Amino acid sequence: MLKIENLKKTYGKHPALDGLNLTIEKGALFGFVGPNGAGKTTTIKILVGLLAPDEGTVTINGIDAGREYQKIKGLVGYVPDSFGIYDNLKVWEYMEFFASCYGLDGLVARRRCTALLEQAGLLDRADFFVDALSRGMQQRLCLARALIHDPELLVMDEPSSGLDPRSRTEFKELVQELNEQGKTILISSHVLSELAQMCTDIGVIEQGRMVMGGSMKEIMERVDQSNPLLIVVRGSLDRAMAILRSHSCVRTISIKNDCISISFTGDSQDEAQLLQQLVDAEVPVTRFYRQQGNLESLFMEITDHEDKEVLQYEVKPDL
Amino acid sequence: MRSNPIYKRERTVGSRSIRIPMILTVFNCILALAALLNMYSMVAQVEVTAEIQYSAFLELYVFGAVIAFVMILFVMPALTAGSISGERERQTLDLLLSTQVTGLEVAAGKLMAAMHHVILLFVSSFPVMAMSFVYGGIRLWDLAFLVLSFLVAALFTACIGICFSALCRRTTMATALSYGMLALFVAGTYGINQFIWSMANVENVSYVNQIGGMGGQVNSGGFLYLLLLNPAVTFYEIIRGQLGRQETMASVGQWFGGRPDNPILGAWVPVSLVLQVLLAGVFLAAAVWCLSPGLPKGRRSRREKGPGAAK
Repeated sequence: MLKIENLKKTYGKHPALDGLNLTIEKGALFGFVGPNGAGKTTTIKILVGLLAPDEGTVTINGIDAGREYQKIKGLVGYVPDSFGIYDNLKVWEYMEFFASCYGLDGLVARRRCTALLEQAGLLDRADFFVDALSRGMQQRLCLARALIHDPELLVMDEPSSGLDPRSRTEFKELVQELNEQGKTILISSHVLSELAQMCTDIGVIEQGRMVMGGSMKEIMERVDQSNPLLIVVRGSLDRAMAILRSHSCVRTISIKNDCISISFTGDSQDEAQLLQQLVDAEVPVTRFYRQQGNLESLFMEITDHEDKEVLQYEVKPDL
Repeated sequence: MRSNPIYKRERTVGSRSIRIPMILTVFNCILALAALLNMYSMVAQVEVTAEIQYSAFLELYVFGAVIAFVMILFVMPALTAGSISGERERQTLDLLLSTQVTGLEVAAGKLMAAMHHVILLFVSSFPVMAMSFVYGGIRLWDLAFLVLSFLVAALFTACIGICFSALCRRTTMATALSYGMLALFVAGTYGINQFIWSMANVENVSYVNQIGGMGGQVNSGGFLYLLLLNPAVTFYEIIRGQLGRQETMASVGQWFGGRPDNPILGAWVPVSLVLQVLLAGVFLAAAVWCLSPGLPKGRRSRREKGPGAAK
């Protein structure tokens, strides 16, 4: 559906995108995650034809966005992070105006507007002025507007920012409904728990490069694997440390109070073996578990936030 | 043929705004007041002298034309300078450009909306302007030619406004630059000629003093033709031609030292109208270029710091 290859974009001397590669399959609900300034919005603006890349290609359904960006605009619907409204335009006029921007007029446009306003739950507000709607309603209207030409790919840049929890939930349900109807959706958001609940695939961008990507299931497994193994012992810390240092799957060891946190590369069988070793050495282990993985922890790991208070040892590979 | 959606929307929004009715009211009030005073003074004169001053009707025509022209110069940049920068400030420009609407359609839609307002302004002033036909002196053809020159002046000033509106992020900056550019064309071209002519005169006087004889006629040279881009000079030439006041209103060829007739001086009005239309096209093309996504890095980076950096 969407393929981005070696995408580069520079603002002055600052590289916003540095060889970004990304593939999204048809029907996917793709979560696009990254810290501020990572290049998400730049990527999205290139996707929807608002910016031209310096290098690289974007193809949607095999059509090169760089060469045929007018054609691409017919395939993509865009919901920006912050969007404006027109004063003195009613909801149905707003929809009909954007319909005419895609060459839809007359009865076809009116039917399409009615259907979309109904789907967005705004049909009863069709005669309201747009600026009289609440923020949540405006966001739903913006989503309905982005669907006016029945695009194959819907691109949303932090669409739920500034919404209250109820509006956010309603918006999320609407997005999921669209995905179930077969729309391919790319959504950028900082609300990672929300993305984890609804996305089928996810990509993490950092400093203009894709640092992690794949299906949500794969990513969560990798998150779990990359999470530290936490061992709480009562006394006998030296014995425990000696065993841990000699174990081939242990990479780093951190100690915070009685809790030993180790980065452990082994699978669940290796974990069981390590626990057995500790028990055999009569180390009083009170807790032994993998830290629960989520997108937030992955995000923090990628954006390199370290706990400075933790005492940390590097384990030599030959030990 | 597909109608321009931007123009359609501007019409809808414009019809709900107080701005255009206000401009129409002010413009027509000034014209009507001038006409009423003119008629009143004429009737008062007839009562005293029993003579009708037919030239007074022509003065009414000139007054109406001047008011209309000044209104165009002042109103058009104000109407157009915020047209695209306003969309950017309202954060609606990205929404527009992400649709299948092209930069050309956006710029053309804004231009059509502005021209629509100007035509409305002219049409609304026809009853007052038609008073000059009561006693003759002005032909219908003259009026049509005057309207054509107004349309060209409106197109020219509107394209300047749209160009700076596309170029600048802020409407205030776009408005200031539009008026600045207009001042450059109206006062600047005149000022340059005045300066060059003065310098030439100074040199001529010192040369005459040196040789102690008679100096030749000096003029501002080729700089005079810069006035072809000055809509005020074109308007002056049209009015001068229509009134036939050769003795009181000198032709452009006689300005800044005078010079012999040549084909350009002979066809000053058509040449200047064509040049102004061409220049308007250049300004419009610049606006379209600013709205295209394939803008070179440097230009775009000055206009936007980059969306990622903004967050």
